[in-house]
Amino acid sequence: MKHELERIEVPGEHEARERAWSVLEFAFAERQPVERRARMVRPAIAVAVVVATLAAVLSPPGRAVLDEIREAVGVERAQPALFSLPAPGRLLVASDAGLWVVQQDGSKRLLGPYREGSWSPFGRFVVASRENELAALEPDGDVRWTLARRDVRFPRWAGTETDTRIAYVDRSGLRIVAGDGTADRLLVAGVRGPIAWRPGSGFVLAHVTPRSVRVLDASTRKLLWQAPRPGGRPTALEWSSNGRRLLVLSPAALYVYDARGRMVDQNDPAEGWPNVDAAFRPDSADVAVARVHGSQSTVFGLGRLPLQQFNGTGEFREVAWAPGGRWYLVTWPTADQWVFVRAESGRQRIRAISNVTEQFRSSSFPRIEGWIATD
Amino acid sequence: MRAGRDERARVRGAQRGSASDLEALFRTHWPRAFRAAYLVTHDAGAAEDIAQESFLAAIRALDRFDRRRPFGPWLHRIVVNRAIDWTRARKLRGEVELVDSLPAPEAAPAGGETLAALAKLSPEHRAVVVMRYLLEFTPGEIAEALDLPRGTVNSRLRRGLDALGDEP
Repeated sequence: MKHELERIEVPGEHEARERAWSVLEFAFAERQPVERRARMVRPAIAVAVVVATLAAVLSPPGRAVLDEIREAVGVERAQPALFSLPAPGRLLVASDAGLWVVQQDGSKRLLGPYREGSWSPFGRFVVASRENELAALEPDGDVRWTLARRDVRFPRWAGTETDTRIAYVDRSGLRIVAGDGTADRLLVAGVRGPIAWRPGSGFVLAHVTPRSVRVLDASTRKLLWQAPRPGGRPTALEWSSNGRRLLVLSPAALYVYDARGRMVDQNDPAEGWPNVDAAFRPDSADVAVARVHGSQSTVFGLGRLPLQQFNGTGEFREVAWAPGGRWYLVTWPTADQWVFVRAESGRQRIRAISNVTEQFRSSSFPRIEGWIATD
Repeated sequence: MRAGRDERARVRGAQRGSASDLEALFRTHWPRAFRAAYLVTHDAGAAEDIAQESFLAAIRALDRFDRRRPFGPWLHRIVVNRAIDWTRARKLRGEVELVDSLPAPEAAPAGGETLAALAKLSPEHRAVVVMRYLLEFTPGEIAEALDLPRGTVNSRLRRGLDALGDEP
């Protein structure tokens, strides 16, 4: 009997062993004690703060302040409802009621009680998650397929017209599944933080570990590069639209890496100015950054092109670029507003929408999950 | 005895952070862990996940592992229990395999008849057969690992062997 059981051919045995070993090797490396390394990193961070502060002061976009709101919180003459988006495309929004699609004419559709989501590469589908489910949906809310998984987060869809993959994080770690819901498998165990597919060909995925940012080929599980990441909890991980830059943001630091993992930009906030969000401008390596300082918030630009800066009282939460990069959206929970800001100088420079929470039937302030161009 | 000492040394080395010792443990125990998971689940992708996650669980628990105990049975016990859980969960989800889209194999795979006979058993019966005859647990150890009465283990073994047309 033993001989019979050992004689059974198991498909892909060799490949499975090597894939598993690469996963285990990472996990084992992450298991090393961190205390010793933390002591070594602190002086480097201290130096970085000085350098970054100088960089922010010298940054040209820091001079173009668009709007200072000193007394009233919020933009005056804000529209009471979202009548239209200032740029083409569709928004994906998450509120307490669930996941919403907002069309350019301002019409909204609730897809269902999901807590996170993202667009498929061409905006034809949405991948959504709730606590114990991953789901692929039509933009009208029809469910294509679901997978039962525990504590699903960061659903992200990538690929071409004919071949797509969805990456997500659940209790086991970082997993991928084909766009039709088949071939679900664990890619990297233990991953908890944000993940991001690199735009372009292939299936290249970035994720963060407690100590590093890692980029791997999801098809082969081959590690392409890894580099030290900013300290603190990573709040954003995003590729530029050409896939040549990767941004990692934490409250205390902003790092930008090139396609080979070399850090090409670092902009750490001065003490007391934590980063809250950052996003690459489409078709550019420029970045819009949102920071909070006490009762003030600001969005400013890093990069070559000038960016209209936007300041306000209270807390900014997110910054999201419209397709095309002519407008960016600042979400402003303190004012219960969304503010669309034209990136460059122009006649109409801002458009504000008030009562955002109520419009999305929420008690907490809604989150932007994506803004994608319309076909 | 020598193999046991070597394994204890590798566990000790892995506990101290030696990746080469961990790799030696992995290369020694992966084949059986993966095969056991496959024979219970009959799904190579799931078997890979299960064996991999079992090794990860072992890594997470490595600091607490008692080196006087053999590593293999500890790992295999995790593997088989996870494989049973997976097959039960799949049954609840009602998943189906996309067999229509798979090309026909050019030749029957080795051991195909045994695999087909195993497929006729429930996952719980397959697990008992795999633990006894592939992983070489005693019936008492199987009963303890799967939290079953000893008589249930024996009856499942008997039924499994009947289905496979073999004698103990």
